[in-house]
Amino acid sequence: MAATFFGEVVKAPCRAGTEDEEEEEEERRETPEDREVRRQLAGKREVRLLRRQTKTSLEVSLLEKYPCSKFIIAIGNNAVAFLSSFVMNSGVWEEVGCAKLWNEWCRTTDTTHLSPTEAFCVFYHLKSNPSVFLCQCSCYVAEDQQYQWLEKVFGSCPRKNMQVTILTCRHVTDYKTSESTSSLHSPFLKALKTQNFKEPPCCSLLEQPNIVHDLPAAVMSYCQVWKIPAVLYLCYTDVMKLDLITVEAFKPLLSSRSLKGLVKNIPQSTEILKKLMTTNEIQSNIYT
Amino acid sequence: MASRYDRAITVFSPDGHLFQVEYAQEAVKKGSTAVGIRGANIVVLGVEKKSVAKLQDERTVRKICALDDHVCMAFAVSTAFTGLTADARVVINRARVECQSHKLTVEDPVTVEYITRFIATLKQKYTQSNGRRPFGISALIVGFDDDGIPRLYQTDPSGTYHAWKANAIGRSAKTVREFLEKNYTEDAIANDNEAIKLAIRALLEVVQSGGKNIELAIIRRNQPLKMFSAKEIELQVTEIEKEKEEAEKKKSKKIA
Repeated sequence: MAATFFGEVVKAPCRAGTEDEEEEEEERRETPEDREVRRQLAGKREVRLLRRQTKTSLEVSLLEKYPCSKFIIAIGNNAVAFLSSFVMNSGVWEEVGCAKLWNEWCRTTDTTHLSPTEAFCVFYHLKSNPSVFLCQCSCYVAEDQQYQWLEKVFGSCPRKNMQVTILTCRHVTDYKTSESTSSLHSPFLKALKTQNFKEPPCCSLLEQPNIVHDLPAAVMSYCQVWKIPAVLYLCYTDVMKLDLITVEAFKPLLSSRSLKGLVKNIPQSTEILKKLMTTNEIQSNIYT
Repeated sequence: MASRYDRAITVFSPDGHLFQVEYAQEAVKKGSTAVGIRGANIVVLGVEKKSVAKLQDERTVRKICALDDHVCMAFAVSTAFTGLTADARVVINRARVECQSHKLTVEDPVTVEYITRFIATLKQKYTQSNGRRPFGISALIVGFDDDGIPRLYQTDPSGTYHAWKANAIGRSAKTVREFLEKNYTEDAIANDNEAIKLAIRALLEVVQSGGKNIELAIIRRNQPLKMFSAKEIELQVTEIEKEKEEAEKKKSKKIA
């Protein structure tokens, strides 16, 4: 308990911990209904990895079933648009499966009957070289679901001879720097790599004290722990919705080893990207 | 730290920031680009047009608005704003009323500086009242005064205003401003047509689909506001592209 300047008494948090009696009481208060609610909520938030043709769940993790030498993951709409226009149009990619999940950030409320168009994380492999995998993830994977996602995609004992590349975006206001923010030329790319990634990245490394969040961070941590060479390319932008300039900021990656051989026709890809922009333009009248 | 001092407009943070005002400036960056250029005898306002939905009437989606039009048409004041549409509408209405009120009271039309100061004062009031948020718009205000001198002013959500020779607001404003800093010379703006071209070239740096997404308005001394039609803009754009090609040919000849 503490007194404020105004004479009121407020309960201050105590770092000594609560008394034992209080803890026991709380446990006894959990009813079967609480347990049932918790169980249903856990079921709702389950990450399901489904095979393409049969739409049944995979028994083992995706990369255990399909061996992979190169795994490129795009997280967020701008990264997904970049891979769609530049990489997926330069080869024949076949859908292998998809990951379906629900959390508070999803727009749909029905979790059992998600339509095919709402598959949030789609996995593809290159027909001419099936060990090259691509993941297009346009949904938000919540903290409690990231571990499940990793288990179902990478498995508990991944192979070390694959290379992982992650592309994602973050708002430039999250970028901490000692220089004046007005001199920052957004969008710009920053890279973060695991210890086993030996090649030089295509842009400068992310400086401290900046950190990576959400699913990209989970994948990088996983790769670091399992000694998998992985690199994350993070684009800091001031436009989080689908934007041509932000997507084009990923262009330096076209010359990297990760995407080498996967990109063929760049002018055509730029055209496809422009078309993607116009079809996806949401008519918002709030800003003019 | 920011999260403890950024909920109320009337609270300074320990390091002297008014976060709500700074966040309002972020809202401005969500609007499409607008550029203003003050020439020797002309003022130009160019904006990036937002693509309009199929069933939407284009006439109601205007970014360039006239604030006043003098009776003898000696000058006109107009503005381009960027940011929250609804906020812009409210501010423009207040500014228009003030223009007429001034004319009736002192029998003189407003000067560009006067109306800019009025808009800026209005915006500042909303950064100091409890329960209100700042206006999420920046405006470029252009016109000629009675003395025939062209003026360009810019206001922002904090309520500051400054006179500029050329400026840009909205998304990618920094890129456009850098282009203007490189290319705004006394020669470039001496000729009216050159000033118009400079505005269009500045916008083409950031506009995604070329001339058809640009809206342009000019005011010449002693003439009313003139909005360019799509055809006229296309003409200018083709001229600019021709000039670019010729400049590149010259460069390659020099190298060769």
